[in-house]
Amino acid sequence: MSPSPGGRGRFSSLVNVAWRALLVCVVAAGAIAAYKELSVPTVGANTRIAVIFKSTDPSIAFWQIAEAGVNAAAKEFDVKVSVVGPKEEKDITGQIALVKRVIRERPNAIVLAADDYNALVPVARRIRQAGIKLVTLDSGLPPGLSSSFIATDNVAAGRKAGELEAQILSPGSKVAILSYVRGTLTAIDREKGVRDLLGADAAIQIVGTWYCEDLLKEASTITRTLLTSDQGITGIIALNEVATEGAAEAIADLKDAGKVELVGFDSSPIETTYLEAGVIKGIVLQKPFNMGYLAVKTAVELLRGKRVPPRIDTGSAVVTRQNMDERENQKLLFPLIGGQ
Amino acid sequence: MRSLFRPQDSAPAHAPGGHEAKRFRSIQGTIALTLFSLVFIVILVIELVSYNLTAETVRANSEAYTLQLVNEVSAGVDSYIRYMKNISSVILYEKDVQRYFGSAPGTPGSSPRVAATITDLLSSVKRARHDISLVALFGPDGRVIADRPNLVWNPYIHFKALEWYKAALRAAGDPVVSSSHVQDLIANEYRWVISLSRAITSPETGKTIAVLLVDLNYRVIRDLCATINMGSRGYVFVIGRNGDIIYHPQQQLIYSNLKKEHINEVLTAPGPSFLAGSGADRRIYTIHVSKETGWRIVGVTYMSTLVSDKEFIQFYYLLLGVACIGVIIVLSILISFRISKPIKTLIRSMDQVERGNFDIKVNIPSYDEIGSLGRKFNIMVAKIRELMIQNVREQELKRKFELQALQAQINPHFLYNTLDSIIWMAESRRHEEVVMMVSSLAKLFRLTISRGDEIVPIETEIEHITHYLIIQKMRYRDRLDFEIDVPVELFPYQTIKLLLQPLVENSIYHGIKNRRGRGVVRIFARKEEERILLQVIDNGVGMDRARVARLLDRTCPDAKSGGVGVRNVDERIKLHFGESFGLAFESGRHVGTTVSVWLPAILAAVPQ
Repeated sequence: MSPSPGGRGRFSSLVNVAWRALLVCVVAAGAIAAYKELSVPTVGANTRIAVIFKSTDPSIAFWQIAEAGVNAAAKEFDVKVSVVGPKEEKDITGQIALVKRVIRERPNAIVLAADDYNALVPVARRIRQAGIKLVTLDSGLPPGLSSSFIATDNVAAGRKAGELEAQILSPGSKVAILSYVRGTLTAIDREKGVRDLLGADAAIQIVGTWYCEDLLKEASTITRTLLTSDQGITGIIALNEVATEGAAEAIADLKDAGKVELVGFDSSPIETTYLEAGVIKGIVLQKPFNMGYLAVKTAVELLRGKRVPPRIDTGSAVVTRQNMDERENQKLLFPLIGGQ
Repeated sequence: MRSLFRPQDSAPAHAPGGHEAKRFRSIQGTIALTLFSLVFIVILVIELVSYNLTAETVRANSEAYTLQLVNEVSAGVDSYIRYMKNISSVILYEKDVQRYFGSAPGTPGSSPRVAATITDLLSSVKRARHDISLVALFGPDGRVIADRPNLVWNPYIHFKALEWYKAALRAAGDPVVSSSHVQDLIANEYRWVISLSRAITSPETGKTIAVLLVDLNYRVIRDLCATINMGSRGYVFVIGRNGDIIYHPQQQLIYSNLKKEHINEVLTAPGPSFLAGSGADRRIYTIHVSKETGWRIVGVTYMSTLVSDKEFIQFYYLLLGVACIGVIIVLSILISFRISKPIKTLIRSMDQVERGNFDIKVNIPSYDEIGSLGRKFNIMVAKIRELMIQNVREQELKRKFELQALQAQINPHFLYNTLDSIIWMAESRRHEEVVMMVSSLAKLFRLTISRGDEIVPIETEIEHITHYLIIQKMRYRDRLDFEIDVPVELFPYQTIKLLLQPLVENSIYHGIKNRRGRGVVRIFARKEEERILLQVIDNGVGMDRARVARLLDRTCPDAKSGGVGVRNVDERIKLHFGESFGLAFESGRHVGTTVSVWLPAILAAVPQ
C-alpha cells in the first residue's frame, strides 16, 4: 500500500474525536458530581443550630421540656443542635456573654429565648450582622430582629383562663387577677386576655390586679388578704406558677376551696395536687415541647429559604380535675418522662 | 474507463459540498454509531437492572434490619411484662396474702404481723428490680398493703376509681397490663408507669379478695424505644391494642395535632410493614405485635436515610455509566477505525485505478474477508492491466493492418496496368470498353476509399470484387474468366472490408497468370449453421504444401509473393471475429487453389 495521503491525519483526528468524547464524559460526570454537591439541601447533618434558653437549670421543667422538643426536631430534620443557657433565669449579662460566644462558633441559625426584651438587642443585631438566622422563642425581642417569634399566644391563654372562670362562676361574681411582675410582657398579655374575655361579659366583674413579684409567700398573703377582706371575691385568676401555688395555698389554709374558684397557669406537682384536691379548678398550660420543636423547625425552614410566619403560636391547653386523667393532659401535666 | 469503476450510487454523495455528508455516511461512522448504541443500550439495561437490584437489596436489608430491631424492642418489652406477671403469680399464691385479705378486719388472719410479713414480701420483690416502682395490694374493703410501710397515699385519689383496678376486677384473675399513665396514688409522687393489675380470688369463696398492682417504671420502656438506632431520622413507637400511644418520641406534637401518626394504618396493616408518606417523608413502618401485651411496636425508617444510600448508589452507578460510555465511545471509534481502515485503503486504491493508475497493489495484511477482497482486487487490477495492454496492442495492429490493406488495394502496379489498358483501349477506339473499365475502376476506388467501418455487408464486398474482376478480365481478356455465386440471402451478413481482393489477386497473379490457357476464378458463399463460408476457387497452377504453409505464417516476411495481403486478411478476420475464424487453403500443383474464408453469421447493421 502506498502511503495514503491524510491517513495519519485522519487517524489523529479520530483520536482527537475520541479524546473530546472522553472529555465530554468527564465534564458530564463532573457536572453531575457538582450538581450533587450543590443540590445537597442547605440543611443537613452539617447544619448547626444553637439554642440559647433563659436557663438550663434541670429543675425548671419548662426549659427541660423545651429542650426535649428541640432534640425531637433535631432528630427529625437531621440537624445538629446545641442547647445552652445561663444557670439563673435572670442572668441577663450571662446570657449576653453566651450569645457572643455562640456567634463566634458561627452556627447556621440561633434560637434565642431572650432574657430581656431590650438588653439583648445589641447582640441580636450582631447575630444578624454575622449572617446567622435568628428565631426567638418564648420571650421575644423588638420587631425586626428575629425572623420568627415562637411562643404561647398569652392573650389567647389569658382568654382561656377567663373563659373557664366564667363557666364556673355564677353571674354577678367578682374576680381578682393575681399577676406576677408588673411590666412583664407575658403578664401583660395574659391579663389582657382575661380582661378581654371577662370585660365583654358584664355578668362578671374584675375587681383588680395584684402583683406577687413572683414570690410564693407574697401570692399567698395577697390571696389571704383578698379573701378575708369583705369584697365578696369568688374567683381568682393567678397568672403564673408561683401565683397559682401561693393562691392555692392560701385557699387551702382558709378551707375556702368550695367558695373561691381558682384558675391558674403552668404545671407543677404542687399545682397538680391542688387540682386533684379541688383547690384549683383549672390550669392553663403552655406547650414548651411544641415550642422547642417549632423553633428548630422554623429555623430549618428559614435555612431552606422558605418563608416563615413572623409569629407562631404554640398553643395552650386548659386542664381541669375532670380531664386531668386524659393521657394528653397527663403528658402536659407530667411532661418529664418517668417522673424525676 | 472512469465510469466503469465509479459506483453508480456514489454520485449523490459527491454532490457539491457533499464531502461532510459522505463522511457522515461512512462505514466507520455507521459501525461506531451502531456499536456505541448497542453497548450503550446494554450498559443502560445492565445499570438499571443492577441499580434496581442494589436499591431493592438495600431496602430489603434495611427492612429486615428494622424488623430485627423492632423484634428486639418487642422482646425487651415482653421480658419486662413477663417479669411483672411472674411477680404477680408469686404474690398471688402467697399464703399470707390469701390469709390476710381472706379474713375480715380484726380477725387474727389480718393481724398487723401478717400485714408486716406481706409488706416484707412485696418489698423484697420490689428491691429485686429497680425498674419496679410500686408493688401493692388493694382490698375491696379499703385495706392496702404496699411494698413500703408508712407510704403516704394521695388523699384525693381513691384506688377504686382507677382504671387499672376496675380492669383487674373485670379480668377476674387474669393479669391486666395498662397503657402508660401517671400513677398518682402516692402523695406528691407522679410517676409514669405501666401497671399490671390482677384480681386475687379466694379459693374457698371464689370472691375477689384483693387486687395486686405492680408498677413498672415507664422509663425502661422509653429507654428501650429511644435508644434503638433506626437511622438518623427513624424512630420507634408503641401503641396499645386500641391505638392509644404508649410511647412516641413526638407524643406531644401528635396530641397538639402538629404531627400525624399512621396509627390506624398500624392497627389495620395486613403485613409486618407498610409504606407511608411521600417525597422526603416517605417511610417504612415495620410492625411487631408483642406477645405478652398485644402492643404494637412500630419501627419507622425514613426512605430518605435509605435514599441517602440510594443516592450514593445512584451517583456511583451514574459515574460508572458515564465512565463506561466514555470508554465505549473511544473503543467504538477505534474498532470502527480498524474495520474501516482497510476498506478505506481499498477505496483509495480504487480511486487510483479510477484515475487510470493500474500500477498499484493494495496491501491489507489481514486474512479476513476484507483481506481477501484486497487480494482479489489486486488480481482484478492485474487482469485489467493485462487486458488494457492487449487491447492497446490489438488496436494498434488493426490500424496497421487496415493501412496495409489500403496500401495493398492502391497497388500502383495495378493502377498503371489498368490505366495502360485504358489507354490501349482508347487508342483502339474501343470506347464502350473504356467506359466500362473506367466506370468499374471508379466504383472500385469509391468502395475502397470510402470511409466508414471495417465491417461491411457481404453485398458491398461482392460488389467491390465484381468491379475488380471486371477490370482484370478486361485486362487479361481470354486468359481470365470469373464466376460469382453468392446467394442474395447472405448479402446482409457481416464481413470485413477488402477481404476478397487480396485473395482474388493472389489467385490471378500466382495461379492463373502462370497457367496456360484460360483460368477461372470462382467465388462462392454459403451459410453453415452459425458460420458463413466464402470461397475463392481458381484453377491455376496451385501451390505446394510449403508455400501454403508460408502464406499464413505470420513470422515469415514474404513481401514479394503478395503473401502480405493474404496474411493481413487472415489476421484482420481473427482480430475482429476471433481466433476460430479466418482463412484455410487447399491447394495442389496443377489442381488449383481453394481459399476458404470462415466468418461468423452476424447480420450487419442496416446501411443508412
